[in-house]
Amino acid sequence: MTMDTPRSTARIGGRPIHAMLVSVPIVCFGGTLITDIAYSQTYNMQWANFSAWMLAVGLFVSIFVVITGLIDFLGDRRIRALREVWVHGLGNGLALILAIWNAFVHSRDAFTSVVPTGLILSFLTVLILAVTVWNGRSMVYRHGVGVRPEPRQ
Amino acid sequence: MSTRHLAILGAGAGLLALAACGPKPIDPHRQIGANPYLPPVHQYLMPPMRVAQVIGWGNAKPDVAPGLQIQAIATGLHNPRIVYALPNGDVLIVEGGAPPTPVNRPKEIIMKWVEDSAHGPIKPGNRVLLVRPGPNGSYSAPTIFIDHLYSPYGIVLVGNDLYVADTDAVLRFPYQTGETQITTPGEKLVSLPAGPIDHHWTKSLTASPDGTKLYVGVGSNSNITENGMGAELDRAAIWEIDRATGAHRLFATGTRNPTNLQFEPQTGVLWAVVNERDEIGPDLVPDYLTSVKDGAFYGWPYSYYGQHIDPRVRPQRPDLVARAIPPDYALSSHVAPLGLVFDTGTNLPAAYRGGAFVGEHGSWDRGVMNGYKVVFVPFTNGRPSGMAQDVVTGFLTKDDNHVHGRPVGVALDTTGALLIADDVGNTVWRVTGAGS
Repeated sequence: MTMDTPRSTARIGGRPIHAMLVSVPIVCFGGTLITDIAYSQTYNMQWANFSAWMLAVGLFVSIFVVITGLIDFLGDRRIRALREVWVHGLGNGLALILAIWNAFVHSRDAFTSVVPTGLILSFLTVLILAVTVWNGRSMVYRHGVGVRPEPRQ
Repeated sequence: MSTRHLAILGAGAGLLALAACGPKPIDPHRQIGANPYLPPVHQYLMPPMRVAQVIGWGNAKPDVAPGLQIQAIATGLHNPRIVYALPNGDVLIVEGGAPPTPVNRPKEIIMKWVEDSAHGPIKPGNRVLLVRPGPNGSYSAPTIFIDHLYSPYGIVLVGNDLYVADTDAVLRFPYQTGETQITTPGEKLVSLPAGPIDHHWTKSLTASPDGTKLYVGVGSNSNITENGMGAELDRAAIWEIDRATGAHRLFATGTRNPTNLQFEPQTGVLWAVVNERDEIGPDLVPDYLTSVKDGAFYGWPYSYYGQHIDPRVRPQRPDLVARAIPPDYALSSHVAPLGLVFDTGTNLPAAYRGGAFVGEHGSWDRGVMNGYKVVFVPFTNGRPSGMAQDVVTGFLTKDDNHVHGRPVGVALDTTGALLIADDVGNTVWRVTGAGS
């Protein structure tokens, strides 16, 4: 017999797409906070440009992260039943709204494209991601969401 | 073109809510003259952008003020920006366009898209054309006068030396009266700040009345330092160049984009039209017309109209702001003055004598269009002396949704008629007194 785990519906060769892609916006939005801090300390526009590109790339990849995440969410009742999934989904939704807002702020020119609003938004985004990433890891490593069931002897 | 416009329209509609979050535009007349009303700074998430769809002129013509008439003297051009009359009556037309610039931020992809759609599909000629007046107000078809230039803009003749300001250098060409083509390569008098980033690429050019000095308007390399202060070396300034040696110094600084320079004929003082900064409101910052004082600092980037600090600039320079002076005459916000000429002729009605014509290319960073016309600023004793008046209008359709053309450079020809380069209608217009 096998111990059954919640299945990922959006997958390639058995690998869940959402779990593969989700690292990209996490790294991008985390990086934005770091380069925003670097700009605020140096006034070197190169750092603010980094932030603008990382927000843009993070948001672009997020389109696919959201789509595959929703497919997985709707594809298996057992996923919807997990409390962590709701915190993960709603939290990431909120983080995404902040990141979109932040991308517009970063489209301003020079100092006020980062300080103070951009820097605050970058910080809040990372704060929320810290919680939702923790939840995401619980989903995978404790509840086995998207993990292939292991045959038991 | 139409798909692009649909996409812009769609994106525009989607972002309407964001763009609508700003202050309502005021009556532009409150910002014309010596003491413009300056509203508080507003910083957008999405600055208002409005460009009209290019439809060309067809059989239509611009409207002119009473006592004037207008005709096209050259059509089918490739981005004509500047017109200039030679002493024998020949008219030179400078066809220039922006050089290629790198994309440094995601925003610039969108900005380039908006700018391209405001200009239409015609590629700039990057050359100088010549038209010659014939009998009964006719003109010869344009022929190539100087070819293979690099984003040319300013042009001026001193004696037998014709100077053309490419975006990266002032070039000198030998000219003999009556010549219709110059094939001799230009000799570089001085290099000018250009690429790889070349944000404000137009280099305006004029000569001192005695012919010993040239003056070049060099625009900033950004809206407001977003490419870093390192990119701004010797920019946002008016250069004075010794014609004999090519040696140069900064005559005035802090002028964000000085797009045209002319000497006021009565006093012999240098005047400039300057394009001010964007994205802090529909009514900030007013573009201006000003006399240019030797050694003066006009604020950019740190402040505008004297000591009004721009919050987007760090580090600030209180020492420079303290000596920033306000310009003489505001033209209202985002009108984009690109052309300037003083009426020294007798062709146009006497009311225009001695005053300044200003070609206003028109706004993009504003929900309500401003500019898109040629205005007249009356002068008395070499100083502006009243409200600007509309001289040539009708570049936009009545609903502001379509654009026939956009005025750029203005000049007087040898008969005293007003010439206007139209870089979207790809036409040169000639305005004369109704009786002439």
